[in-house]
Amino acid sequence: MYGMKRRSLVTAAAGGVPAALVLASCSQGSSSGGQSSDVVTLNGDRADFTDAYGLAGAELEAITGYAIEPRNVPSTENYQQVVRSSLQTDSTTDLVKWWNGYRLQDLARSGGLADLSGQWDSAVDQGWVNPETRDSFSYDGKVYGIPMYKSYWVVFYNTGVFDQVGIAPPATWDEFEENNAKLRDAGVTPLFATQEAGWTSSIWFAEILSKLDPVFYADLMVGEAKYTDEPAQEAMRIWSGMYAEGYFTAADVAWDSEPSLLAKGEVAQVPMGTWRNGTFAEAGLGEADYSAFLLPTVHPDTAPSVIVESGSISVAENAPNKEAALETMANWLAPEVQQPWVDNIKDTSANPQVTTDDPILETVLEAVGAQEPTELVRYWEASPPALIEGGVQYLGAFMADPSESNIMPTLENLQTLADDEWAQWDAGS
Amino acid sequence: MALLEKQRTRAGEEGPRPAPRLSLLTKDRLAAAPFLLGAVALVAALLLVPFLATAYQSLTRDDGFTSSFIGFDNYLALLQDPTFGRSLLNTLLWTVGTLILPVGLGLLIAVLTNAVPGGRWLKYVFVLPYALSGTATAVIWGFILRSDGALNQAIEFFGGDASTSGWLLTWPTNTIVMIVASTWQATGVTVILFMIGLQAIPKEVVQAGELDGASGLRLFWHVVLPQLRPVTIVVVGMSIANSLRVFDLIWLLTKGGPGAASETLAVTMYRQTFILSDYGTGAAVAVILSVIVVGASWFYLRHQYKRG
Repeated sequence: MYGMKRRSLVTAAAGGVPAALVLASCSQGSSSGGQSSDVVTLNGDRADFTDAYGLAGAELEAITGYAIEPRNVPSTENYQQVVRSSLQTDSTTDLVKWWNGYRLQDLARSGGLADLSGQWDSAVDQGWVNPETRDSFSYDGKVYGIPMYKSYWVVFYNTGVFDQVGIAPPATWDEFEENNAKLRDAGVTPLFATQEAGWTSSIWFAEILSKLDPVFYADLMVGEAKYTDEPAQEAMRIWSGMYAEGYFTAADVAWDSEPSLLAKGEVAQVPMGTWRNGTFAEAGLGEADYSAFLLPTVHPDTAPSVIVESGSISVAENAPNKEAALETMANWLAPEVQQPWVDNIKDTSANPQVTTDDPILETVLEAVGAQEPTELVRYWEASPPALIEGGVQYLGAFMADPSESNIMPTLENLQTLADDEWAQWDAGS
Repeated sequence: MALLEKQRTRAGEEGPRPAPRLSLLTKDRLAAAPFLLGAVALVAALLLVPFLATAYQSLTRDDGFTSSFIGFDNYLALLQDPTFGRSLLNTLLWTVGTLILPVGLGLLIAVLTNAVPGGRWLKYVFVLPYALSGTATAVIWGFILRSDGALNQAIEFFGGDASTSGWLLTWPTNTIVMIVASTWQATGVTVILFMIGLQAIPKEVVQAGELDGASGLRLFWHVVLPQLRPVTIVVVGMSIANSLRVFDLIWLLTKGGPGAASETLAVTMYRQTFILSDYGTGAAVAVILSVIVVGASWFYLRHQYKRG
């Protein structure tokens, strides 16, 4: 009896290894599982988009016959690994949510994405997308992503606090500085800034630099200017000066607490992409409680600019349902698909024909219409990913010690990193 | 392994049939082999194969899509990287800090609560945090340590001047406060282990010591502490291994920042691999970390058991 038990244990243990291997091989296919011909699968890192995917998918199904079946990996870091490891296998989803700019190029040059140039051209012909944004979704002359939404980087502000302090949204940089001083004197932290979430350390650097010299910003991002050049130094001096005035929250404030700090009026202004609009609404801010303005240029004679960000959707080269995926992307920007999509995610569409009834977004679009600012790619997507990820570390360290004496060491570190990473990037392409 | 083999040899020597000693031993070993096969296969499949794969990956430039063999370039680049030096230094700080704080405090709490009436209940106060996950601990300590957190609020409430630069924002303060946070959580298990050790000390030994005139610190140092030696070996060994691979607390509290100021090797490994998608360098850090963890544990345990 005892002996038998032992033998069966050994058998079980020996059997365990192949069983584990079988399990492992099963799990490989999990991201593609459940293929049915009338849906295309989409992988993403935004679980809060699930309802919106459903709404857009219903409209797409009416046009193409294919609905969207979304999967979500909640952590952006894990999501990127899942895509990197599955994109070139047959366990990829048909559609992949990604980022535009260099992040898209990074993926496209691996050969894992399908060419969407035809879908792009057809969208341009129908007036569904601004043809000037093509570069931001291209690699080596071909389009590999279709814009998911279009977020403008603006400054959200608490209208109640502005009324109490007796200030209005600034039209010039001087007014912006005056507002900040009044808010600080009234005991309200004027501006939100944190390096706690890593990437957030780039926000103020990019905002100030782009409002100081948009041409230099664009050059710096593509490696045609140096971090140690005078405009970057000037931007850092402005940033450091604002820290010295006590305008910012502590550099380790939790990024997640940003909506509630704005809602409670503890922080008056928050620089953020309009994609955050939905989160502010969820934090209890009613339509009358907050609004947004475009940050004015530092000097009145500087050309207006705005930082723009688009998520992108790409088709995997190995997509199990590739034809359906390509057809879905050809119709993604159709107004009847985009309208329910952006209404649900509370952001603006990349299709200029699609309107919004959200009062905050209307304010932003009015300002954009009036100022006609140059659109700049967000820092996060504007340079090779490894340069950005290293860069936000140096900027984060600067936020912890925003003294004048720390400006040049920070910029020198950034330039050394830029030299290395541009060399790596060029070697890889 | 070394210990097990030693015991087995002794058992063989003291056995009733000394003549065919060696051949029987070999036979015994051969007979035991099939029983070990399952476990060895599992260890090989789940530990050794991935380790060899990682070691190979560390010799490549790998971005997740394409991979090319570059020899020891990743290791050379790490040696020249000041961030990696800081990461090693922080790992050393964690190891030393974890040896002094959770082990020292654990012993102190175990001895004190063992001696005082009601100590049995008192010790649960210290043991309770051990039931929390590292993530929950990090979230709680995040509320306490951030610049707008509970600690600064308390300091200001009592009229003090709260640190303007932030507990988590400057090195080495951020590493030290995180070691304290880790201590809060990790002390529980050392208390439990030392309690077991204390309860296992034969009363006669302590009484004999007392009869010989020892009391207080002297009794503790010369009679109690030597009896706790086996437990101490385990506790210190565990602490070394735990401190070398600390990750969750740091990742959630500072992400290794600001900059890379509070990174340890485990965080560097994660950042290189999963943030920078530099799988080759990440694998190189993993290999270095594994060598340090296994090396330190092996050296410590071997040294201790030899002395024992």
